Amino acid sequence: MSAEFELTRNITIGQYLPTGSIIHRLDPRFKLAAFVILILAIAVCNTYIGNIFAIIMCVWLFQISKIPIHYGISGINPAIPFIIILAILQLLFYGGIANGGAVYFEYGFIKITSESIRLVLVSAMRFVEVIFLSSVLTLSTSTTELTHGMERLLGPLEKIKFPVHAFALIITIAIRFVPTFAMEMEKMMKAQASRGADFGTGEWWRIVQRTKDMFPIIIPLFNVALARAEDLILAMEARCYIPGAARTRFAHYKAAGKDYVAIVLSVVISAVMLGIPW
Amino acid sequence: MTQPIVDIRNLSHIYMQGTPLEHRALDDVTLQVAEGECMAVIGHTGSGKSTLIQHLNGLIRPQSGTVIINGLDVSQPKVDIKSLRRQVGLVFQNPEDQLFEKLVGDDVAYGPFKMGLPLEEVRRRVHWAMELVGLSFQEMKDRPTFALSGGQKRKVALAGVLALQPKVLVLDEPTAGLDPLSRKELLERIRHLNREENLTVIFVSHNMEEVAQLADRVYVMANGKAVCDGSPRQIFGNEELLRQHHIGTPESVDILYRLRTEGYSINPESYLPEEAACEILKILKR
Repeated sequence: MSAEFELTRNITIGQYLPTGSIIHRLDPRFKLAAFVILILAIAVCNTYIGNIFAIIMCVWLFQISKIPIHYGISGINPAIPFIIILAILQLLFYGGIANGGAVYFEYGFIKITSESIRLVLVSAMRFVEVIFLSSVLTLSTSTTELTHGMERLLGPLEKIKFPVHAFALIITIAIRFVPTFAMEMEKMMKAQASRGADFGTGEWWRIVQRTKDMFPIIIPLFNVALARAEDLILAMEARCYIPGAARTRFAHYKAAGKDYVAIVLSVVISAVMLGIPW
Repeated sequence: MTQPIVDIRNLSHIYMQGTPLEHRALDDVTLQVAEGECMAVIGHTGSGKSTLIQHLNGLIRPQSGTVIINGLDVSQPKVDIKSLRRQVGLVFQNPEDQLFEKLVGDDVAYGPFKMGLPLEEVRRRVHWAMELVGLSFQEMKDRPTFALSGGQKRKVALAGVLALQPKVLVLDEPTAGLDPLSRKELLERIRHLNREENLTVIFVSHNMEEVAQLADRVYVMANGKAVCDGSPRQIFGNEELLRQHHIGTPESVDILYRLRTEGYSINPESYLPEEAACEILKILKR
């Protein structure tokens, strides 16, 4: 109950846990590339052993990055409904579409085969692995590093006139303002609650009423957001920001041996995951 | 002594408990405020003032210790929180951000409507609250909120809280960011509410002139603890105490202490500008 208004506590985007581990110290470009390789491998890998291997690897990553694993586990909680719904749909309908595998159960159009059970288990594991990996990535990399890394990796796209820099800037600003707006919203909720507002206490079917209850928060929040955006523009222009102009960089990244090792290791792990035949 | 309207005992609060970012914001705070008193809460940023005042209307529930407001025990999970929030009006920092209705009158009426009062009563309260903060009901009630000046918006927000007719008014830095004229006017309004309407006022401020002018009592916080509690005369008159806790002083007190170090004999308890002026006159006449 006392955590009624503690919104900022539940926001994990942009949360960074500085433990100074080797994972934290990797060059963000290489780190990002390595994680992309791993996530792609997970997306393709559909064997039991391969996925169990991937989960073990994720746990190992938590360990060497010195991040307590409960951070990763708490990231799974909000995804559980999706995992369950997905599992039910796959269990009921996949067997009917895909042929092959031993049939365990058949009733009308519902057909449960060894293949559909495999799909259910494998996709649940994939979910967990992807959440674990992205948790390690965001918890071990500050948002600035992350966007720098992304900007560099997307760099080649500039040749086809893709506005890489603007894109990276948008992402940086968006992530930067998530906690700010969460704080503003918390303050607004408290202020309106002090005036007798209540949120989310009406019955869920009274959608119109519940939507109206949010107006006293949403409208001031928009106001504040617009005011902040204008302030940000002024602050950037006052520091001579010109869109599209050539810019030098404060952070220079230099790849070291450990960065190449990270890439090679992620390729090897992916190869093992995909190479396992069961 | 009569039953204090605000009775806080051994209150502690820890933010983000159980995470590496754990932070102890309040540490064993005890505070009683009598009805009709005007109390200033001062202290540096991060000393726990905001956390303390959010306990007063149940926005934060006590983790340990008790908070009893006018007989309502906030630590009880079943306490009537709405009734509590009607009795304690909390005005946040920069309250002008919280206006959301198109028209001034509608915004002030939000609280009373939420209380489920009949239209006539709502109208009466809006009228009363707007006049109290110095906004003419006839003239201002149909003005669009976005077209007001900062000072006016703040008055509207204050009226919105007053329309609940609270017994205790809690203000977090009520004059921060206002121009000198609006600041002076707002202070007069707050003083009026305290002296004439007999509202108990608790306010947080960094402006010591304000504290000296307004408060009957000063409560000084540092690192989540209460370090001293006394009348402004006791606090500002005690140079040692001020030094020890790095408490700012009003200009008038500053001058007196500087005169004293220069070797003039002054009464350091003369903290009000008028009294300080008398002290200086005494020296000049000698």
